[in-house]
Amino acid sequence: MSNSLDSYLVLSALLFAVGSFGFLARRNAISMLMSIELMINAVNLTIVAFGAFVEPLKTHAAVIALIVIAVAAAEATVGLAIIIAIYRNKKTPLVDEYDAMSQ
Amino acid sequence: MPIGDSIPFVGIRWDDLLFVMLAATLLVSALLVVTLRDIIRCGLSLTVSFASLAGIYVMLGNPLIAATQVLVYIGAISVLILFAIMLTQTKNAPSKLVFQTQVLVAAVAAVFIGGVIIATILTTTWPSGGQRLWTATADVAHLLFHDYVLPFEAVSVLLTAAVVGGVYLARREIGKNEGDKP
Amino acid sequence: MNFLIPLIPLLPLAGFALTGLLGRGMGRESHRIAVWAVVASWIVAMIVVVGALTHSLGFGPGGFGVTLWNWIPATGFDAEMGFYVDALTACLLIVVTTIGMLVHIYSIGYMAHDDGKWRFFAYLNLFMFSMLVLVLADNLLLVFAGWELVGLSSYLLIGFWFPRRSAAEAAKKAFLVNRVGDMGFALGIMAVWTQLGTLNLQQVFAKIATVPHEWQIAIALLIFCGAVGKSAQFPLHVWLPDAMEGPTPVSALIHAATMVNAGVYLVARCNPIFGTAPEVMAIVAAIGIFTAILAASIAFTQTDIKRVLAYSTLSQLGYMFAALGVGAWTAAIFHLMSHGFFKGLLFLGSGSVIHSVDGEQDMRKMGGLAKKIPITYATMLIGSVAIAGVPPLAGFFSKDEILGGAFKNGFLWVWGIGFVVAGMTAFYMFRLMGMTFWGESRVDPEKEHHIHESPRTMTRPLVLLAIPAVFLGMVIGFPPESGLLHQWLAPIFEHTIAASGRTEAAYTFFGIDGALAVVTTALVAGAIVVAWRLFGVNIPALGLNAEPRLDRVREISKQPAMAALYRGSSHKWWFDDLNNLLFVVWGGKLAAAVFWFDRTIIDGTVNGIGTVTTGAGTALRRVQTGRVQNYALGIAFGLIAMAVGYILIAVR
Repeated sequence: MSNSLDSYLVLSALLFAVGSFGFLARRNAISMLMSIELMINAVNLTIVAFGAFVEPLKTHAAVIALIVIAVAAAEATVGLAIIIAIYRNKKTPLVDEYDAMSQ
Repeated sequence: MPIGDSIPFVGIRWDDLLFVMLAATLLVSALLVVTLRDIIRCGLSLTVSFASLAGIYVMLGNPLIAATQVLVYIGAISVLILFAIMLTQTKNAPSKLVFQTQVLVAAVAAVFIGGVIIATILTTTWPSGGQRLWTATADVAHLLFHDYVLPFEAVSVLLTAAVVGGVYLARREIGKNEGDKP
Repeated sequence: MNFLIPLIPLLPLAGFALTGLLGRGMGRESHRIAVWAVVASWIVAMIVVVGALTHSLGFGPGGFGVTLWNWIPATGFDAEMGFYVDALTACLLIVVTTIGMLVHIYSIGYMAHDDGKWRFFAYLNLFMFSMLVLVLADNLLLVFAGWELVGLSSYLLIGFWFPRRSAAEAAKKAFLVNRVGDMGFALGIMAVWTQLGTLNLQQVFAKIATVPHEWQIAIALLIFCGAVGKSAQFPLHVWLPDAMEGPTPVSALIHAATMVNAGVYLVARCNPIFGTAPEVMAIVAAIGIFTAILAASIAFTQTDIKRVLAYSTLSQLGYMFAALGVGAWTAAIFHLMSHGFFKGLLFLGSGSVIHSVDGEQDMRKMGGLAKKIPITYATMLIGSVAIAGVPPLAGFFSKDEILGGAFKNGFLWVWGIGFVVAGMTAFYMFRLMGMTFWGESRVDPEKEHHIHESPRTMTRPLVLLAIPAVFLGMVIGFPPESGLLHQWLAPIFEHTIAASGRTEAAYTFFGIDGALAVVTTALVAGAIVVAWRLFGVNIPALGLNAEPRLDRVREISKQPAMAALYRGSSHKWWFDDLNNLLFVVWGGKLAAAVFWFDRTIIDGTVNGIGTVTTGAGTALRRVQTGRVQNYALGIAFGLIAMAVGYILIAVR
């Protein structure tokens, strides 16, 4: 099982599904961000799995995964900064309350 | 004493066992992240999932990525998330409702997404070699600084922008709160 | 002649244009252009008439055609602007231009104090132009154009005093009722075109025998429809009495002497078409004679002097159509001409009477005017005697020819009804004379002092019209059935008369014709005597004197049988009420129903689309919640949809 690419890919698909569920269903904005991190990690796992099993992609996958991690870090930074800024305004981290743009 | 390939008497390969354990940890902690009520616990279980993911990276022959995962994700992002949780804590107890009103629809959507991807994965024949390969760090470094130097530099610019942006977005207003120095 | 014939209608047209443009500024002199235009037109017309009737000045035995230009040069449809003059046209020209000229001169005096005088003369000239175009036209389309223009001029002139509501409504009524007839005429023209391929009258007459018989009947019937409308026959007669709301010169010109004769002219002109459809000719005779007796019966009880004359016109027009229907074509034209003159005279005379009693039109408030307005009285007496049919004035000859023709051509019922109507005519005309001129004066005391004879511009035309009223019959109608008029018109009608298989028997004075003439004259004389005994008479020259006995009239009209007849007659036999019920009340309800449909269903549908759109918009607005999680869900769904789509495409 650990030698088949499929299992790693399935694992990453499950992780992605869990992450998307959390993103769509949680009320706290930071929970949504954590779910986003889960989804990014699932994608990263896919990339690395491919790099481990497909010979021509070996080093390329590692480089791409590295860059993805860096980008994820930047995104998490900015996202949390935004949430903190909004928290200052709305006094609550719950996205239910962020409906200033509704009709 | 070298251990054999598989567990004696049971016949399960060690690799498979390791994989299953790590996968189980990953999935369970991920589920806990999305379902726990107390958000700090969510953050901690997120850290656990990062850790198990690092283990899987090692299994996939990529210790460099595993190390980077631990350093960046656990060392920086998890800490960042915990700080943000602290900063946005409300005075009340964790609210009664964990999920929004659209939770059922979200579950259905998540199941669908997962199902579609898994179906695609299982029905495609991947050009896989069947053996896990080991990635050499020197090769990664060579590729990173020769063929991928532009994305590398772009990422460094991106990180700078992210730092500046984050600092700007999250700073307090000047003079709004008493006793603060700009 | 090529130049003179188009000049006849063009002069009044120029008069209309110039008076319309300059008249307002001319003030008191605004009539000059119009009157001179019509006088000039009369002179030219007389020259043309002389040529046409005596076959000189460029006229041959056939008619003289002038084509001005090609009006509608379309492939497959050709209509030209052309005029055609023959003996029939000449007879009409005499009537139209002469009476038109005299009415214009009369109007100088009658409308002297009216501010809208310039408008009046402009409309009069427009009317002259239209009528002349109608008479002179050589193709049906141009006749129709003149037809419609005449209707328009009539509308403008009836409603001349439009601030008065009754006048405006009368004008509308005239136009609408005319329209009904015009529709039939238009359909007839279309039928002619589809069957014969040409609208030129002479070509149509040449080819009409080749058309299937049903189509001949249809075309004749539809053309007669137009005549019914324009000449106010039953059932489209309701507009003529109301048209008396217009000034009296208008009544004289349009509704006695010219426009209403257009229908008679049309049928006479189209005699070859009618000759092929004897069934339609019977219908023509029936409607004509029925209108005659209907109108005469209503005239018995009318109290407005102009209404009596209006119903008298209806009755005489009925006579003309009866003559056309029985095949006495020349008699009809003869009656048209003589009626034009003496009815014009009577109308202008009544205008003079009204003018003298300061606008009073109710005969119950007149009386004893004979000595105070002598010229008017004398001329009106001549006119009444003429219309009653007393020999040797014009009416006798023309009416007798009609009745003789009816009898000899086998239409005994037409003769019978016409005979009775002759008596009725004499009676109500002398009732009018008695109530207006003889007996005690019942005039309003304030107005009595002002009674004066009319100015010369008004009395001269009266005198001039009295002359043909007396002498016309003897000049062109004597000897009967072989006089000048018959010689002139024979070539036009001979084919139709020959085709109908009847030959015009020679007039036998001591045979059937003489007997008929004597009988009719006796009835007329009797009716006049009865009228004298009831309504009075005072002609010192003839030694006739009787007191009016209006109380006796009241006694008679109270008897049961008479009372019912009286009521029916004074209500005009309830035709106006019938029309009102059918078209105004029920038509109004139908219109209201259709309006409801339009408003609720059609507008509702259109507005409904708008409402549905805004409703959908409002509903769809709720998608914009402003909440990120909802948008994220949307993204997730989109992602799933795209993925599934890709898979399906790939699997195929």
